[in-house]
Amino acid sequence: MADEKKQPEPTLVERWLDEQQQWQKTLLTYLDSLAKNEDFLTHLGNAMRGSLLAGKAYPRPDAAAAPDTAADDRLDRILHALHQIEGQLTDLKFTVEELKASVRKRKDKKKRKDEE
Amino acid sequence: MSEGSSGQPAIAEDQERELQALLALSQRSRARLERLHEVLTSPGHFGAGATPSAVVYRENKLRLLRLLDEQGRPRAGPPVLFVPAPVSRYFIVDLLPGRSFAGYVAEAGFDVFIADFGTPTREDRFCDLEYYVEGLVRRCVRTVTTLTGRPAINIVGYCLGGTLSLLYSALHPDTVARLVLLTTTVDGDVEGGIAWVAHKMGLAGESYEQPRLVPAVEVKSWFEMLSPGSNSLAGRVRDLWERLDEPAERLRDVRTMASWVDDVVPAPGRLLAEMYQKFGPGRNGLLAGTATVGNQPIDASRITMPVMSVSAEKDTIAPPEGVDAIRRIVPHAEVVRLPGGHVGIVAGRAAAALWKRTVDFLAGGSGAGGGA
Repeated sequence: MADEKKQPEPTLVERWLDEQQQWQKTLLTYLDSLAKNEDFLTHLGNAMRGSLLAGKAYPRPDAAAAPDTAADDRLDRILHALHQIEGQLTDLKFTVEELKASVRKRKDKKKRKDEE
Repeated sequence: MSEGSSGQPAIAEDQERELQALLALSQRSRARLERLHEVLTSPGHFGAGATPSAVVYRENKLRLLRLLDEQGRPRAGPPVLFVPAPVSRYFIVDLLPGRSFAGYVAEAGFDVFIADFGTPTREDRFCDLEYYVEGLVRRCVRTVTTLTGRPAINIVGYCLGGTLSLLYSALHPDTVARLVLLTTTVDGDVEGGIAWVAHKMGLAGESYEQPRLVPAVEVKSWFEMLSPGSNSLAGRVRDLWERLDEPAERLRDVRTMASWVDDVVPAPGRLLAEMYQKFGPGRNGLLAGTATVGNQPIDASRITMPVMSVSAEKDTIAPPEGVDAIRRIVPHAEVVRLPGGHVGIVAGRAAAALWKRTVDFLAGGSGAGGGA
């Protein structure tokens, strides 16, 4: 305890020197993360945009918004129509299942009535 | 000039004060950078949802998720289908363990399903209201009723997902036991919100006949337009820099929320065009009684199931007055206004108020055994 009390307060200059060393450590930690973690640059890039978007790059304005050619447009329309047909087929499947279930229910009901 | 304790020459007093201040600034800035590093190197949220789940139905980009318990089994309580907005990512209702709206409802004993509309691609620009309401939402409900054996289920719709849920409930009321609408605009003439601002700016909106896939970055700019300054790069960086004084745990929360706010998806132009033309300012089809889905008119008087509509006091996306207008078309609706903003009431630090209220409503006041 007595020794601790004798330790002189660091001067301002000493504190500045220590701070410089701490800055070097901080910067080295960033460099280390950049080298070891390939996602770190994405995270840092997002932070530099004021965003903390995790795990993926910030949205960019280059998404394909419109088809390039008339053929692309036709292809998109066909794909969309196929998705609609896919949905209608699923609806049909549901309807068949529901009909089956209701027939089964009716049969069970009739069977119970007959047994009574 | 005197000498310092270490024998170095002392610095003049005013210079020393300046250096002290600079040192303090340097230390604070370094602490902020160290905290930023800590946050950036800890696991983030990648939009995969927080609660274990199984995909029980797929169609186009849609996935219907069923939440599972710790043993990997679905819960046995009444089914609840969450319908988030198709223009944003679904995981806002299942953000983080302990911060998950859907997880909270599941913990209360309900069998929870979430519709993840996925990320539309170019051919999806032709998807209209009918495709979503009579297609995707209807088939999600049919999947849930088939899997659970219950003829009517509970639905919780958020934002535009609430609009889809409201329209669906008017068309198929017999399949909906209870309906919860969160920040769902009913009166399109109320000042504020994206459609109203676009109307005031004289914008024609998207084209129905020649729709485009509206890029994610543009959708994002619309939301940012509602809170001026939030989209300025300098403003956002400054905001982040100031926030870096907060504890790392709090910053991780901010990061998770930001990962949702920034992670918008492209939007089908035809859906936006139709909603703007039918429900936007000047048309206001829900209140005017002129709304249709495909060729089917929407008759709000068919919505006879219990309804709870929740608005947020500080909502700039769906202004609370426009949300509370549900009273005018569904007079028996329970109208609730909670403190917070559009996203905060669902997933913010005070969201527990909404979660509890929703569970109470779904349970019909009798625990998880009530409702459907």
